Amino acid sequence: MSNFYRHISLALIAMLLGACSSSSTTTSTANTSTTQGTAEYDPPLRVASANATDFAALLNQSPAGGQLLDLMKAGLQTQTPIKCGVDIYYLTFWTVGGAGEKTKSSGALMVPSGGTGCSGPRPVVLYAHGTLFNKATNLADINNPDNQTGALIATMYASQGYIVVAPNYAGYDISTLGYHPYLNAAQESAEMIDALTAARAVLPHTYSSATSDNGQLFLAGYSEGGYVAMATEQVLEASGKKVTASAPMSGPYALEAFGDAIFFGQVNIGSTLFTPLLTTSYQKAYGDIYSSVSDVYSPTYAAGIETLLPNAHASNEDAAISDLFTTGKLPQTALFNSTTPVTGNTTLDTQLAVPSNPMDPRTPIFAAGFGTSYLVNNSFRLAYALDAAANPDGALPTPPPGAPLAAAVPTNTMRKALYMNDMRHIYGATLPAAPNLLCGGENDPTVFFLNTMIMVNYWSMAPHGLITPLDVDPANGPSGPFAAVQGAFQLTAQDNLNKLVQSGLTLQQAQQTLIQSYHGAVAPFCTLASLFFFNQALSQMP
Amino acid sequence: MTKINKLIRVLVLYFSTLLAVLYCNSPAWSQEVPVNSIRVGFYDVFYHATATDLSGPFVPAGVNLQVKDVKTIYVAYVRRLTPDWDFEFAFGVPPKTDTVGKGPATLGSVPYDGQVISSAKWFAPTVLFNYNLLDETHKWRPYIGVGVNYTTFYDRRSTPAGDAASGGATKISLSRSIGPAADVGLSYKPSANWGIFASYSATRVNSHLTANTAGIIRTSTIKFRPQALVVSVGYSF
Repeated sequence: MSNFYRHISLALIAMLLGACSSSSTTTSTANTSTTQGTAEYDPPLRVASANATDFAALLNQSPAGGQLLDLMKAGLQTQTPIKCGVDIYYLTFWTVGGAGEKTKSSGALMVPSGGTGCSGPRPVVLYAHGTLFNKATNLADINNPDNQTGALIATMYASQGYIVVAPNYAGYDISTLGYHPYLNAAQESAEMIDALTAARAVLPHTYSSATSDNGQLFLAGYSEGGYVAMATEQVLEASGKKVTASAPMSGPYALEAFGDAIFFGQVNIGSTLFTPLLTTSYQKAYGDIYSSVSDVYSPTYAAGIETLLPNAHASNEDAAISDLFTTGKLPQTALFNSTTPVTGNTTLDTQLAVPSNPMDPRTPIFAAGFGTSYLVNNSFRLAYALDAAANPDGALPTPPPGAPLAAAVPTNTMRKALYMNDMRHIYGATLPAAPNLLCGGENDPTVFFLNTMIMVNYWSMAPHGLITPLDVDPANGPSGPFAAVQGAFQLTAQDNLNKLVQSGLTLQQAQQTLIQSYHGAVAPFCTLASLFFFNQALSQMP
Repeated sequence: MTKINKLIRVLVLYFSTLLAVLYCNSPAWSQEVPVNSIRVGFYDVFYHATATDLSGPFVPAGVNLQVKDVKTIYVAYVRRLTPDWDFEFAFGVPPKTDTVGKGPATLGSVPYDGQVISSAKWFAPTVLFNYNLLDETHKWRPYIGVGVNYTTFYDRRSTPAGDAASGGATKISLSRSIGPAADVGLSYKPSANWGIFASYSATRVNSHLTANTAGIIRTSTIKFRPQALVVSVGYSF
């Protein structure tokens, strides 16, 4: 009988070990390489998959999506503007930080699906998003109602037959980089190209292998992303790569001139958020902006400011911003001290004074950039201003043809960083090789349209048709090939104004409310214009 | 794997030792009545599973799971301890259990609700101490028992439909579980060696499901409350 028990025990052991040794299904390959442009997972996770009908229905589930759909209906003049289904993948890939640090980044790969014009060989739009303050930003998270940029590019590009590659940027989402290399042309363009390389490598292995990259490459981006798109074109073309067309939108291209304007008192909306992002970015990259954060920031806000943005503690984009104000970590609008520096130089002191010109409608916005609880020290501001006064940007106050940078490399380290990253410096004597649509709104209080005008004037000798400026909000009303987009923007703005007035605001209050959101409001209209621009470029391809 | 093996070794050693001790200490009546039985029969398992909504990145609200009931073969070794007490070591031939999507009809355009999204095989040995009512002269004897169930899952697979819903090839793990078990039954012994048995048993199994798709982890906790109808034939020796 003892054998009987031994047999039972052995049988049990065999059965149980057999159970434990059985295998699970294979999963996506995790790449071990950390080389720039390598996708971490191949194929990447598909986050969502919708055919054209379901995609339109998903858009209609939210007010913002519904508005986007209405804009597409009006722009494309059809009741069924969603042409293609869209599969959205979450791409994680290796790139570098502002000082060459190895880091992962992530982004979205959006692939059209369906019949003719939606599958087979299709063009790629490499898209750069605008400044976002929530570290959890993830353009691939299409089910998240906070992800308006993801919905915008999926609708405007992917559902129209373009493969979209859009990085979230280093410093966001899963990136362990403790800051974002904001407006660092070298890093941001490199990351765009890394995202593109990774996306091209994994696309054939995805569920969307029926759609392939046909080699035509379009660049687009809004705000910060407009700047990044412009920088990326320069890098690609300098390395012999062809760009089919590019649409930088509402970007801070002329960083030196833009910086000078702000330091001389034209404080833009959002400046107290942009300044820490930008200052930290350049400090990490170049190491010479300050010795201590207190060199730049007032004691009220200096502590911990290097890790403040992107905000890792917010549930959504709005909260990422408002939390910083309500918890007193940043002032809402007061970039500079309202007790402005006095040097004895009357001209300079006037330039540094709180704006008060009653004839300029922008004066209340600029003046709001000053306060007693301010972000940037007078000493930092003055050092910058002295450099700008001694070595002025040639494009200010109104850009002439050629719109030159400062005659010499600035000595002030912050201004020098802006100079080195100014698109005029990046491009130097070269021109973009691909047709460019530079879209924006002339009343933009966040990223001044001045940036667009400077680049248009900088490239004033470009061949006809190479550089197309587009103001979606022209003072003289819609005209030209994009009149429909201009008309739609102005009509929408008027509708919104009327609604605010009807809700009980005075006309002035309603106008002030609208101007606060002007920069964001331009985005879908410029993006629609970029779609027309790209479609036109495709139609002219042999 | 090492931990599981260690646990299995301990369990096997424990039960082997327990049985050996019981055998060595068998009382005199065990020489007259067969003390060892093997039972083979039919297991009809109703899971009554509930799961928490799947959580993790990119998961819309309300995505849940349900588990399909199974039928399998029942095998048990029963040791007569006293005229009234039995020790039962039971297990089913590991059944393949399907997990079915529960929630939205589609995720985007990908079918979900009602789709078989994964499968796993169970090995779920249970030890029970059964108390038999009436005395041994009765051919019909009802019994009740309590014990412990150990459940481990293997051959865990995400189906093509599951992969499509998850967004790619998905690796699934289900944590093992130890929980209480109980049964009630009725035996019919027309002879000293042969018997027919019917029982209704219930156990509690909690398992933590983890799905890994391209490095993205989604989780759910599944509470199984398996109840089984068993009909078996036993031979005693």
